[in-house]
Amino acid sequence: MLEIVRYEAERRITGSLVLSVLLAAMSLLFVALFPSITTSGADLDAYMESLPPAMRAAFGASGAFSITTIEGFLAVELYQFFWLLMLGIYLAYQAGGLIAGDVERDRMDVLLAAPVSRRRVVVEKFLSLVPGVLALNLVVGAVVYVTVAAIGESIAIADLAMVHLLSIPYLLACGGIGLLLSVAVSDSDIAKRGGLGAIFGLFLLDTVSQSADIGWLGAMSPTRYYDPTGVLVGGEYDLAGAAILLAMTAALVAVSAWWFRRRDV
Amino acid sequence: MSAIETTGLTKYYGDTRAVADLDLTVREGEVFGFLGPNGAGKTTTIRTLLGFLSPTDGSATVLGRDATDEAELIEAKRHIGYLPSDPGFDDGVTGRRLIRYHAELKGDERSAELLEQFDPPVEREIGEYSRGNKQKLAIVLAFMHDPDLVVMDEPTSGLDPLMQDRFYEFVRGERDRGKTMFFSSHILSEVRKVCDRVGIIRDGSLVALEGVEELLDRSGKRVRVSVEGALDADDFDLAGVGDLELRDGDASFVFTGEYDDLLGHLQGYSIRDLEIEEAPLEDVFMQFYGGTDSPAVSARAEAAGESRGDVGETAAESQEGDGDA
Repeated sequence: MLEIVRYEAERRITGSLVLSVLLAAMSLLFVALFPSITTSGADLDAYMESLPPAMRAAFGASGAFSITTIEGFLAVELYQFFWLLMLGIYLAYQAGGLIAGDVERDRMDVLLAAPVSRRRVVVEKFLSLVPGVLALNLVVGAVVYVTVAAIGESIAIADLAMVHLLSIPYLLACGGIGLLLSVAVSDSDIAKRGGLGAIFGLFLLDTVSQSADIGWLGAMSPTRYYDPTGVLVGGEYDLAGAAILLAMTAALVAVSAWWFRRRDV
Repeated sequence: MSAIETTGLTKYYGDTRAVADLDLTVREGEVFGFLGPNGAGKTTTIRTLLGFLSPTDGSATVLGRDATDEAELIEAKRHIGYLPSDPGFDDGVTGRRLIRYHAELKGDERSAELLEQFDPPVEREIGEYSRGNKQKLAIVLAFMHDPDLVVMDEPTSGLDPLMQDRFYEFVRGERDRGKTMFFSSHILSEVRKVCDRVGIIRDGSLVALEGVEELLDRSGKRVRVSVEGALDADDFDLAGVGDLELRDGDASFVFTGEYDDLLGHLQGYSIRDLEIEEAPLEDVFMQFYGGTDSPAVSARAEAAGESRGDVGETAAESQEGDGDA
């Protein structure tokens, strides 16, 4: 077991590490900018207040908090945008190529000629995303903690650890959406872009539905169940949300496996 | 037990029929040639046998196990190798890594020995491979777990002639070791080199099934001769001459008789040029299966009679491999 995971993860790990380093460098830059922002005198909180409610929701700034604190700053600048939106999109995009890419390039024939079940192929290919997700969280989390300390600020290490830990179920759920698309269509470009569009659409759906008083609609979106701002600023850990995300992921993988077993390759 | 058996196997893609009511039995220990022009349904049949496609109707077994039951087929696949014509591999891994991966998935009995015979540059990344090197790697992957049955879909495409010959020799050796091979091809001359029996597929149906010798006896040679002086039809009033075309001193015909008779007869002429080659597959069809088959086929036969260049892609390709005649 897990031979497919190992092979696939090995192929992907360089890309994940490069992305980790880039995101780490960027967060380093953000954190380094923080002192000059707090001393610039510009009233950023007033600026945030002046934004329309939907925009503020998109920045995760719907609650009452200040982005001139390091927690609020990190939540809005780094986690709300890069973790929730960009990485979610990245995972769905990557997962979109998992099955469709192999089918399209005839690699699936070579793999399925070996004595492996289709369910195993789907599950293991999906699991091969996990090491990359872990690497991203470990590298960037560590770099953020160290640079925050370096500029003389402090951040609760438990909150920082939780914002990363709770992002794992979220990112996997995004990957699950990409995986389902990857099984459903044979063109990997369409599956990847579909994954990208789906996460962006769900993100919008969640933010818009919150302010438009149709919150139940946004409950479909994984973005509803991961709130980096809540963790960093409020110290609220949404464990039920994480459980929902894990259940969502399991369901998406199960449906993908079921579908892939039934279809022609 | 037969190595492969299909009963009424049918596969449609939407409304397009790819394989129709195919009955086929491949015996254990034989090299079975699965011959047909491009688009005849060879690849669809193979991909159905391996469970990549599910049949619209009918049934198939490989090594005695139901090809439509995933669990049964997985058991069979421990003893099956698959060699596609244009295999898909990940570009970013080395050949060595891919061999290790497949060793983990299905076992490795003899990759070292295979790498000595077919030597893809395993230390390099597959993205840098030529078509021939990819095919050599595919051969290693198909045979490394020492399978009892190997299903091959036009396996020599992409190999240079020298490597093709090595591969034919290898296939004969495997047969002698008791292995069964299903060898799909559109090239008659390669099928004659390695196969014991041949099934001919056309438009998704089996149109003939026979021993390779019988097929060759019936298929004949394409002869082109050019002599001093003029020729007329009476000059080739000889047993086994068919489809005769004449222009001045040039004659072209299909010959199914004895070589001695032909060469004896030609001694009476002053010969400028003589070519004898394997009849292209399309010609074989036209001669023996196509004539009464459908109007489209006979129309093509006429076109071929007028101009040898217009027989179409299949005939042109099959001639590539016919340089041995």
